[in-house]
Amino acid sequence: MIRWVTLILLALTACADSGGNGRPTVILWHTYTGAEEIALENIVSAANRDQDRYRIEPVFVPYEAFADKITNAIPNGNGPDLFIFAHDRIGDWAESGFIEPIEFYVDDDLADHYAYAAISAMAYRGSLFGLPMAVKSVALFYRTDLCPVPPKTTGELFEWGHGFVASHPGAYALAYSNIDLYGHAPWLHGFGGRIFAKDGTLDVASPEGVRAAAFARRLRTEKLVPANATGDVIGTLFNAKKTALAISGPWFIAGINDTVPWRVATLPVVTETGLAAAPFLGVEGVLMSSRADHKGLAFSAMRALTSDASAAERARRARQIVPNNAAYENPDIAADPVLTAFRAQLSHTVAMPKTPAMRMVWTPYETALGRVIQSGDDPGAALSRAEDEIRGYVRRRSN
Amino acid sequence: MKQLGPYALAAAAALVIALGSFAAYRNRTFSEAEVARAEAAAEAAARGQKAGPAVIAAAVVLAPKKSARYPFLSHRDAIIGGRTVSLGGPGSPAIHKRLYDAANHCDDHGAFSELSGDSGRVIAAIPTDRGTAVAITQPPSPPEPLPWAILGGLLAIGAVVAYCGITVGGAARTIGLAVGASGLAAPAYIWSGAIPAAAILVIAVAVAALDARGSLRRAARALHEGRIAYAFLSPTLAAMVVIVCVPFVVGLGLGFFDHHRGEWTFVGLDNFAHILSGGGHSLADPLNFWFTVAVTLAWTAVNVILHVTLGVALALVLRKPWLKLRGTFRVLLILPWAIPSYITALIWHGMFQSEYGAINQILATFGLDRVAWFSSWTAAFTANVATNTWLGFPFMMVVALGALQSIPRDLYEAAATDGASAWQKFCHITLPSLRPALGPAVVLGAIWTFNMFNVIYLVSDGQPGGSTNILVTEAYRWAFERGERYGMAAAYATLIFIILAGGTLGIGWLRKRRAR
Repeated sequence: MIRWVTLILLALTACADSGGNGRPTVILWHTYTGAEEIALENIVSAANRDQDRYRIEPVFVPYEAFADKITNAIPNGNGPDLFIFAHDRIGDWAESGFIEPIEFYVDDDLADHYAYAAISAMAYRGSLFGLPMAVKSVALFYRTDLCPVPPKTTGELFEWGHGFVASHPGAYALAYSNIDLYGHAPWLHGFGGRIFAKDGTLDVASPEGVRAAAFARRLRTEKLVPANATGDVIGTLFNAKKTALAISGPWFIAGINDTVPWRVATLPVVTETGLAAAPFLGVEGVLMSSRADHKGLAFSAMRALTSDASAAERARRARQIVPNNAAYENPDIAADPVLTAFRAQLSHTVAMPKTPAMRMVWTPYETALGRVIQSGDDPGAALSRAEDEIRGYVRRRSN
Repeated sequence: MKQLGPYALAAAAALVIALGSFAAYRNRTFSEAEVARAEAAAEAAARGQKAGPAVIAAAVVLAPKKSARYPFLSHRDAIIGGRTVSLGGPGSPAIHKRLYDAANHCDDHGAFSELSGDSGRVIAAIPTDRGTAVAITQPPSPPEPLPWAILGGLLAIGAVVAYCGITVGGAARTIGLAVGASGLAAPAYIWSGAIPAAAILVIAVAVAALDARGSLRRAARALHEGRIAYAFLSPTLAAMVVIVCVPFVVGLGLGFFDHHRGEWTFVGLDNFAHILSGGGHSLADPLNFWFTVAVTLAWTAVNVILHVTLGVALALVLRKPWLKLRGTFRVLLILPWAIPSYITALIWHGMFQSEYGAINQILATFGLDRVAWFSSWTAAFTANVATNTWLGFPFMMVVALGALQSIPRDLYEAAATDGASAWQKFCHITLPSLRPALGPAVVLGAIWTFNMFNVIYLVSDGQPGGSTNILVTEAYRWAFERGERYGMAAAYATLIFIILAGGTLGIGWLRKRRAR
């Protein structure tokens, strides 16, 4: 009910606001809050000032409801013209015809502005669907007062962690979202596991995946990590000296107290395999609705939002890891230790799968993680069960 | 003239059907003609001929030149009116993008033609030796107007036939009515085939038959006599139809379809078979429908028992005359009910959090171990029940308080004279007097609890492993977490409705039998 009321209200605002100085309005939905929202507003007001062909109007939509709203609003013609979202839904939305291919407007010179991995994350089946704004992955935050040198390998993590937990009762060595596939992904990839094999078939219950799940359980059973920590809890633990390490992304920074001495490092190497723990890479881009009015103007707005100047503003103000190569020529941005650490992590990431089937993976996989880590189920059995469940959803859909 | 009432009724229904079949006919012929025109224009463009009238754009889009660096970028040129034009780049005309996208689509999926519902434009694309021929057309003229002359003429002739029949009377009246009202079946047949024509005929014959039996006259009289009541009822009735009946019927219907990326396929009873068979999961698996049914029933039973016990107990205490600040306590105890349930659920979810949750903090002060509330079924179920009991007891308490006020004092006095103990008074006076008020409240409470989405979704969220899901949260997951499987969700909703309707009817029947 609330969902629909909000949708209707949004649709009404979208209809009511096409006036503004007689220029067409480009409605932009985004999930940005805090510094990112301020940076976005600065960029939008600069874009609205610098030209008189269109006016961008940003509309905040909460992250939790965002994808559902897009899926429900665009086919009914009520959605935005542009929206900012991670690349992993592009496959699904492109197949459903919700988003507009934009390679018509883009030539090599424009594409050269962005890091190759970032812009190719916006492509699906030989078409381009968006321009990249920011790349996001998790990395290792550490409190320099509790852990001056962060562990380089998982072996060191256990060794140091046991000592730390013994000397700090009630505290944990590391806090991360362990029942969450996004939080678990670094270990999954560090053990050589994956969600989909190269040919696109599901590969959830692989021996590597099983070893990664067993590893996550060991972290919990040896009391190095808290049970089922979520974003807020991780922040609280980190601020309260209840954990020395935390795995999270750039969004975590805003919640750290000023008194906490902290730094960011790349995630440790998994000792058993010698592979670096590799988190999911999400590329946030601005995408165009297939129902957008004035597609040419909407594309101009996309360019303005992802220009080098816009990227510099977002990197400086909101510490976004922007994909624009030119932004790092700015000495302030190049010298920022946090941005440098996250950029270093980028070379050990795995792009989140874009295939529509990925959407069916999250809940069953997380159910399996819960069974393994919390209820002590056998990792192999739990993951096979998850794989069967996911196959069931994918198969019936494609009938 | 007044006697033509039955004819007007049948004619109005026939008119609606005839107009509908004309609209369908008009849309069909319009889109066929426009698609044919666009295809002809695309073929003309392929041969290098000039495009016909009302063609917005006709071009041969040449094969794409792939970018060397970016596999997802490609450049295309087009021959428009004999000149080669480069498509693309910022600032190119919107129509060029249509040509470009149509050519891409044609390369991937073969020749196509597509009518855009909003603008009436048609895009047609066909592959040729030189490239992809694309044409975009705009309809040259507005669609045909409604054929009022034909419809009006047929209705008038029908009215004359019916009137003649009525004047003659007897069987002629019925035949005249049936024949007169069937007039529109002929154009409906021409426009949209046998189905609408048959519907008009059936309506005409049915109205004539009802008229012959006098049913229509009786219904008209009843409507006339109760016209004030019906007038007052009509806004509510309309609202009920729009808000309750239509979604209900649509929901029932959706259960027979499978939804995949905006496309609906009729699958008959497949969804129900999949659900009722357990979907290939064992009975002990939370994904098995029957497991969820068992959890839902346990959830409902435990909650209702706790709500009623706690509610009645508190009501009994609040009734005591010696209790000071009774009003304040009443308000305090009703508060949980006044706070929106999702807020309460979120607060309780926070209190059950294992690191910082209030409940584990309290346990820790007593030297007890922390409980990982959402790691085992029993703990998670208990957390859900605790939250919902907090939400549910005030309602039962209010109902019981009301019922207690109405028990006559003298019953207790008479019992006291007979030497009854407090327990005997409770069992033989209080409880039986509460039953008529509590019965409907329990049914209502059971239905609410059965569908208590907020608590399950926000407190345990089905953890661990989906085992604390109830039917309604499972329906939600089919709709929003398993790829918009609205058909499965609708089938779940239908099953929930059947269970609840069956349960309510069963309880009603039991109560009636006991009353006898």
